[in-house]
Amino acid sequence: MSEQSKDLSDPSFAGEAPNSEVHDSPGVPVGVAPPDSPAAIPAEPQSPPLGPTATPQAAPPPQAPSDEGDPKALQQAAEQGRAHQSLSAAQLGPAPPAPAQLVQKAHELMWYVLVKDQKKMIIWFPDMVKDVIGSYKKWCRSILRRTSLILARVFGLHLRLTSLHTMEFALVKALDPEELDRVALSNRMPMTGLLLMILSLIYVKGRGARESAVWNVLRILGLRPWKKHSTFGDVRKLITEEFVQQNYLKYQRVPYVEPPEYEFFWGSRASREITKMQIMEFLARVFKKDPQAWPSRYREALEEARALREANPSAHCPRSSVSED
Amino acid sequence: MQGSTRKMGIMTDVHRRFLQLLMTHGVLEEQDVKRLQKHCYQVHDRNATVEKLEDFINNINSVLESLYIEIKKGVTEDDGRPIYALVNLATTSVSKMATDFAENELDLFRKALELIIDSETGFASSTNILNLVDQLKGKKMRKKEAEQVLQKFAQNKWLIEKEGEFTLHGRAILEMEQYIRETYPDSVKICNICHSLLIQGQSCETCGIKMHLPCVAKYFQSNSEPRCPHCNDYWPHEIPEVFDPEKEREAGISKSNRKSLRSRQH
Repeated sequence: MSEQSKDLSDPSFAGEAPNSEVHDSPGVPVGVAPPDSPAAIPAEPQSPPLGPTATPQAAPPPQAPSDEGDPKALQQAAEQGRAHQSLSAAQLGPAPPAPAQLVQKAHELMWYVLVKDQKKMIIWFPDMVKDVIGSYKKWCRSILRRTSLILARVFGLHLRLTSLHTMEFALVKALDPEELDRVALSNRMPMTGLLLMILSLIYVKGRGARESAVWNVLRILGLRPWKKHSTFGDVRKLITEEFVQQNYLKYQRVPYVEPPEYEFFWGSRASREITKMQIMEFLARVFKKDPQAWPSRYREALEEARALREANPSAHCPRSSVSED
Repeated sequence: MQGSTRKMGIMTDVHRRFLQLLMTHGVLEEQDVKRLQKHCYQVHDRNATVEKLEDFINNINSVLESLYIEIKKGVTEDDGRPIYALVNLATTSVSKMATDFAENELDLFRKALELIIDSETGFASSTNILNLVDQLKGKKMRKKEAEQVLQKFAQNKWLIEKEGEFTLHGRAILEMEQYIRETYPDSVKICNICHSLLIQGQSCETCGIKMHLPCVAKYFQSNSEPRCPHCNDYWPHEIPEVFDPEKEREAGISKSNRKSLRSRQH
């Protein structure tokens, strides 16, 4: 599947069977963007500009937590994308590849994005180009468009450009995040339980949680910084490195304190994916109390929920649920 | 959809959420899949009857077919539990792992895989795997490091560890069966009953054919005189029990009763 990855050193390991698959392209024709497509389409960031304007005029606000700013900016980016295409057709040197090959690339990209998201890794545009799109770089716009469409139609996920500045994408669930707490508490995703424990501590305190406080709480779960756990492994590494890398937590030195101490904050990804109401419900279940036992926090959670509802009257993917032939 | 020989299914938000969650978990046991399915119906289509799981999944697979991915059903080799995973049919490489591990780590996995396939029992000892550390491609890896990488594989459900030995997790078999059969056509073992890839199993002492433990269980169920299907010699091994999800659930209930006494953990 990777174009230039380490796998190519061993031919038996490389997955690419580029020409052996001839398949019918699914109903969506290449190069046509449906007007209400929610997909994010970046203007070509690094490859030689195909049209006169290589930089987008309206960049979506970097790391916008809510969905409000995005649709309009995405619409503009989509229109620019289409403008580029009509210009570039005249200037393109080599003939474009067969539609079937672009379709195949779109499928590879879809899988790549799904797996990256499953592993909670950053979906970085240059990686996408290097690992999947490769020599089809010139057509990455249409490939991306098709991939976004498939992801929306089949998985109900939006491939959203979260930051034009860092060229990061994220898979945003078009469906409401309902299952997180249930899943966390059902022992199936213990990582999430651990993470929610820390996030809720930070939330309840209303400011950063010192590392010592976090370990006091984790002691309840039988976790110690020096002990390896059968499920979590090296817990300290998990919370100070992996969760931080995945942007669920921030781990920072407390200023002006000697000897050095560190504290945890919510990471940008946590703010995006986890609502305050979920934290309140988590706390309620763990401590067997009513969420209103934390009145000011509960009020905040209510306000956030209301703000989210107002911002997203219809945050669902297009209801064209019948798959085309 | 008109005039097509391929029957395409209909995707609703029930199916989409199901796919999302299945993808999130990587691999799931059948009872969890059923629970997941019910949850998706609860969220999106409360009044609809929950479709039979097999039909539900076939429906989704008919849509996924054109994308070259599939929800595959397999069975764990040691105790016959049905498991499900979303697999990519288009590539034959270790595609899901490739994004996750460094070159030398992938090579370590490949070495372990080879040892497992060549072994008699389907298990490769940790020592034997670690002794190959010098032959790895990419950055030099110390044995201590390799031990941790093996643990990472086990945590991510690519390998199973049992008493210092490693074998393939059901998930790895589901995802890589095609790749393994193509890459090691001479050393690969096949089950005489279901004809799929066999890593762990029982063999006939006389003629050497092999069978998965759950296949043995089903084939010899309530047979007081088990005989090899190939050479008819007496089958010398203990016949395991057929996996019964009902018994599992009862055992699970009594286990969770004990668990609730320590309710503070998790």
